Amino acid sequence: MEGLFDYAPAIALFPLVAFVVALAFGNSLPKKGAIPGILATGGSLLLSIAMLAAVASGEVYHETLYEWAIGDAVSDTGVDGVEFTFGILIDPLSALMLVIVSLIAFLVHVFSLGYMNAEGETGLPRYYAGLGLFTFSMLAFVYADNLLMAFMFFELVGLCSFLLIGFWFRTRSAPSAAKKAFLVTRFGDYFFLIGVVAIAATFGTLQFAGDDSFVAAAETAIADGTTLFGFAPETWVTITGLLVLGGVVGKSAQFPLHTWLPDAMEGPTTVSALIHAATMVAAGVYLVARMFGYYALSPTALAIIAFVGGFTALFAATMGVVKDDIKQVLAYSTISQYGYMMLGLGVGGYVAGVFHLMNHAFFKALLFLGAGSVIVLMHHEQDMWKMGGLKEKAPVTYWTFLAGALALAGIIPFSGFWSKDEILYDALIVGLEEPIILAAYAMGLVAVFFTGFYTFRMVFLTFHGEPRSEAAEDPHPVGWSIKAPLIVLGVLALVAGVANLAPVAKLAQLDITFLESWLDGEFGAIEGLTYGAYGELLAYETSYIGTESTTVLIAAGVSLLLAFSGAGVAWTLYNVPEPVEHKERLGSIGKTVEDNYYQDEYQVWLAEGLTLPLSRAADRFDQTVVDGVVNGVSTASLFGSDRMKRLQTGIVTNYAALLVTGFIALLLVLGILGGWF
Amino acid sequence: MTVPIEYYVLLSMALFCIGLFGILTRRNALMFLMSVELMLNAANINLIAFAFYHGNLTGQVFALFTMALAAAEVAVGLGIILVLYRNFRDVDVTVPTTMRW
Repeated sequence: MEGLFDYAPAIALFPLVAFVVALAFGNSLPKKGAIPGILATGGSLLLSIAMLAAVASGEVYHETLYEWAIGDAVSDTGVDGVEFTFGILIDPLSALMLVIVSLIAFLVHVFSLGYMNAEGETGLPRYYAGLGLFTFSMLAFVYADNLLMAFMFFELVGLCSFLLIGFWFRTRSAPSAAKKAFLVTRFGDYFFLIGVVAIAATFGTLQFAGDDSFVAAAETAIADGTTLFGFAPETWVTITGLLVLGGVVGKSAQFPLHTWLPDAMEGPTTVSALIHAATMVAAGVYLVARMFGYYALSPTALAIIAFVGGFTALFAATMGVVKDDIKQVLAYSTISQYGYMMLGLGVGGYVAGVFHLMNHAFFKALLFLGAGSVIVLMHHEQDMWKMGGLKEKAPVTYWTFLAGALALAGIIPFSGFWSKDEILYDALIVGLEEPIILAAYAMGLVAVFFTGFYTFRMVFLTFHGEPRSEAAEDPHPVGWSIKAPLIVLGVLALVAGVANLAPVAKLAQLDITFLESWLDGEFGAIEGLTYGAYGELLAYETSYIGTESTTVLIAAGVSLLLAFSGAGVAWTLYNVPEPVEHKERLGSIGKTVEDNYYQDEYQVWLAEGLTLPLSRAADRFDQTVVDGVVNGVSTASLFGSDRMKRLQTGIVTNYAALLVTGFIALLLVLGILGGWF
Repeated sequence: MTVPIEYYVLLSMALFCIGLFGILTRRNALMFLMSVELMLNAANINLIAFAFYHGNLTGQVFALFTMALAAAEVAVGLGIILVLYRNFRDVDVTVPTTMRW
């Protein structure tokens, strides 16, 4: 199997080649660059599956491929010289993620044939080049073996999202949404960059895995009680961890940096599917999972992750309730679901978080592609109030979309139920000991109700009832390139939960938690990067309500009950032939929620009301004081020399007189100082 | 019976002061040149007097050099004065002041 891993770089390089081909020859190719994209992501998918199989057979791969700079600074922990490298780390986590990313990217490429090509879009080579570069950056980010490489590709992912969200750059809203996504995530990445520098300076290494990783170095520092940068080691680990978390919050659209994501719906729906399911937004959570050992050392950072996650889950879910645009509802559900993942990781539920990341990738890609299919059916109408009655006319879209919706709402036995339940269960058992985690759990639990509600509101408004517009009465047909990815993802949304049936395993005492054993390194893993190793680092206490079994039943029962009641409310309100809006009933709360809690407003105020005057003042200081000093110096010397030059009369006699006077004066001075007189 | 060294120094000093006085008071460029010659020769007297006084020839050799230098200087100076005259119809050094700044 050694030979197989030599091809690992190709997983990311295939889409890069597709990017170059689409950019250079896209216009002269049939399908405008789609074919190389599909071939490349298909190749990446096959190779990733081969890697997954290799890891399953007990192999792992951790290799530094290229060393591009060596610093000679001595770090706080005494490491002599920092090496900046490119390397590949393929362990259970990254192998799993590689398969997810390349699968989603492949399906999105196929779907694009029906969504973009068949609809006669212009600029397709640019679109496919963007998709290729996007996939390349994400795959390279996933198998990065050090934090700096991860950071570089993290940034590249952000750039690609900018390019793709702004794909329809001739409209007014798309370029502005692209800029917003770029700037908001960049704000978070700024902290990430500082975090990378801080970690490199402290530990002298940026490796994720192995004995010389910064995780191991931090562990040793805490064990030895070494003072790092004048702080106790735990404090410093928390600080750097939170700095890196800034990038995560920006990319994974957590509160308060979530505002870019709903606007990002301006891009093509396929791009939204890719961004939400597998690339951009997933990158943040994946990074937390990747360096989970580091966060596990800091209970404070974990608690913050959990609380932010729980809060975001509820916060975004409430906003999803009042949206009329089908893509907007999905956008807020994405924010909310990533909140769940953060909650899961924050309470130490490493497996639960990764499990939900995987399931979410499948069902959210499904829902977005389904929404794309609906948009094609509806002749590019996105307002749900103009849809209705699509159930009979587009059965494939309906049934697959329903599978995705059931998974999103967390209805048993769809995949979303298993992972969400596991997250909530992990949060509950920790929350019984820690009040702040309990608060995060409660928010996550309430969000389940809202998730059920908005999901089924969307389904009922879109597919049920009577058609409410001409487009809905006579939908545009969709082809197989649209249906096939939907079916694949629909099946995955239904069965992916089998990977980790934790509640069943706990109740029936069966050994069927495959994902847990997978991430625990029972097949093969790098030492220290396993669920078990992380578990030993965690400082959380857990307890149960009664026995473990009753806790499992209570956690699952409550969340299922809430999901059903949310769906039930949606059923009574919207599953009628002629549904009407119920927003007025919410009154001023509804208005606040519809305006997204004025998040955009206050961030715009922060920019325009606070930062702009501050920068104006700084500009004025620069223009007047700093420039004034510089100009003053030159004015003074100009004036002085204008006076001085009058000495030069042009009359030789004067010069001679000056010379003689100077000489005599010099003689006198020397004489007085030398004591001649 | 040799002349004491003080007289030479006094002579040289007087000569130098005459030359300096000429430079500071005259306006005619030719007078300038002559004054400069006086000052150079004042230095020459010193060189030779002290060479004789110390009994080595170095100073005398230097005096020869100075003479050669003075000749060259006069040649250049006369050239300048010719051009000066051609341009200003005068050899008054206070007239050409346009080339200062």
